[in-house]
Amino acid sequence: MLTSLLRVISLLLPALIPSWRFFKTVAPSPRVEYRVIGGAGARDWQEDRPRPRDISVAALLWRMVWNPDWNEQLFLVSCAERMIEEPSQHSLDEILTRVARLLPVGQGLLQIRLVFISREGDALVKTVEYECEPVPLSRIKGGVA
Amino acid sequence: MSFEATLRLMEVLLGLAIAQQSLEHLKPGQLAVNHRVIFAIRLALALSMVLGYSAPYGMYGLWVVALWMLHRFQGPYNGGSDKMTLLILTCLCLVEVAPDQYWQEVALSYLAVQLVLSYFVSGWVKVMNPIWRDGNALRDVFRYSAYPVSEGFRQWADRPGVLWVMGWGVMLLELAFPLALMNPIALKFALLCTAAFHFANACFFGLNRFFWIWLCAYPALIWFQDRIF
Repeated sequence: MLTSLLRVISLLLPALIPSWRFFKTVAPSPRVEYRVIGGAGARDWQEDRPRPRDISVAALLWRMVWNPDWNEQLFLVSCAERMIEEPSQHSLDEILTRVARLLPVGQGLLQIRLVFISREGDALVKTVEYECEPVPLSRIKGGVA
Repeated sequence: MSFEATLRLMEVLLGLAIAQQSLEHLKPGQLAVNHRVIFAIRLALALSMVLGYSAPYGMYGLWVVALWMLHRFQGPYNGGSDKMTLLILTCLCLVEVAPDQYWQEVALSYLAVQLVLSYFVSGWVKVMNPIWRDGNALRDVFRYSAYPVSEGFRQWADRPGVLWVMGWGVMLLELAFPLALMNPIALKFALLCTAAFHFANACFFGLNRFFWIWLCAYPALIWFQDRIF
C-alpha cells in the first residue's frame, strides 16, 4: 500500500512540476511487432496496427473528438519505451493484452518484440531491443487490459 | 476577464475536455468493465462540472480519478496531455481550498506561468539542439517517428526546405511567446497561433487531446496578463 502510494506520488510530481521538454531530441522510435506460433492463425512477424496509407480530411477532423484507437497506439509506444527504460510486468501485460485483443481467438502462442528505428547518417536502422517469451493466446485472451 | 469568470470558463472547458477523454476510454474492449465504470463516473463528474452542478466536489472527484489513472496506467496514458489535465485540475482544486483571494490568485498564476513555460522551455531545448536548427529533427519526426498518422504524411520528410521553415516557425513562436504577455492583443494573437500549432499536431500526429487540454489553460493566462501587466 505504502509502496503504491509512493509510486503514485512519484508519478504525480512530474505533472505538477513539468519539465516541458517536448521533442528535445528525436529518440529511436519503437514499433511493436508480433507473431503467432502454431495453431490455425499462425503468422510471421508483423507490425501491430500499421498506419493507413492515407487518411481523409473528414477522418482527420473526426479524430479531433474521437480518436481512441490512435491514443491507445500512442499508449503502446509509451509502454514500449518503458519496457526499455524501466522494464515491468505491467508494461508487458499492457502490450500483450492489447495486441492479442485484435487477433482472432486461437490455440497458438503469441510473441511480441520491440523494434526501434533510428537514423544513422541517411539510412534508417531497425534494432530489436526486446523479445518476450511466447505466451499462449488463450491465456491472454481470457482477460481485458 | 474577472477571476470568477475565468474560473467558470475554465471549469466548462476542462469539463468538456475530460468528457472527451473519458468517452474514448469507454470504447468497448480497451479496458476491463470495472475500469470502464470508473471512466463512466469520470464522464459524469466532468459533465456535472460543465453544467455547474458539482463544484467543488466534482472537481475533487476528478482529481482523485486522475490519481487512480496514474496508478492504473503506471504513468500518464496520453503523455503531456494527461499531465496538463492533472496540472489544471490541481490548480483549480487549490483555488477552491485556498484560504483567501491572495492564495487563490497564486494558484491560478502558477498555472499561467506553467503555460508560458510549456512553450518557452519547449522552444529553448529545441533551439539549443543543432538537429532542430538545421531542420533534420522535424524531418526525422516525419520520416521514422511513431507519430505521423498515415504513411502518406511521411512524404513530408522529402521536403527539407518546407520542414526547415516549419521547424524555425515553431521554435520562434515558442521562444517569443512570453513577449506576448506585454500586450493583451498580442497575447490573444499568440494564443491563436499556438492553438493553430496544436491543431496541426492533432492532424499530423493524432494528438487531439493536447489541442483540447491546452485550450483549457488559456483563460488563466488571459486573466494573468490582465492582472499583472
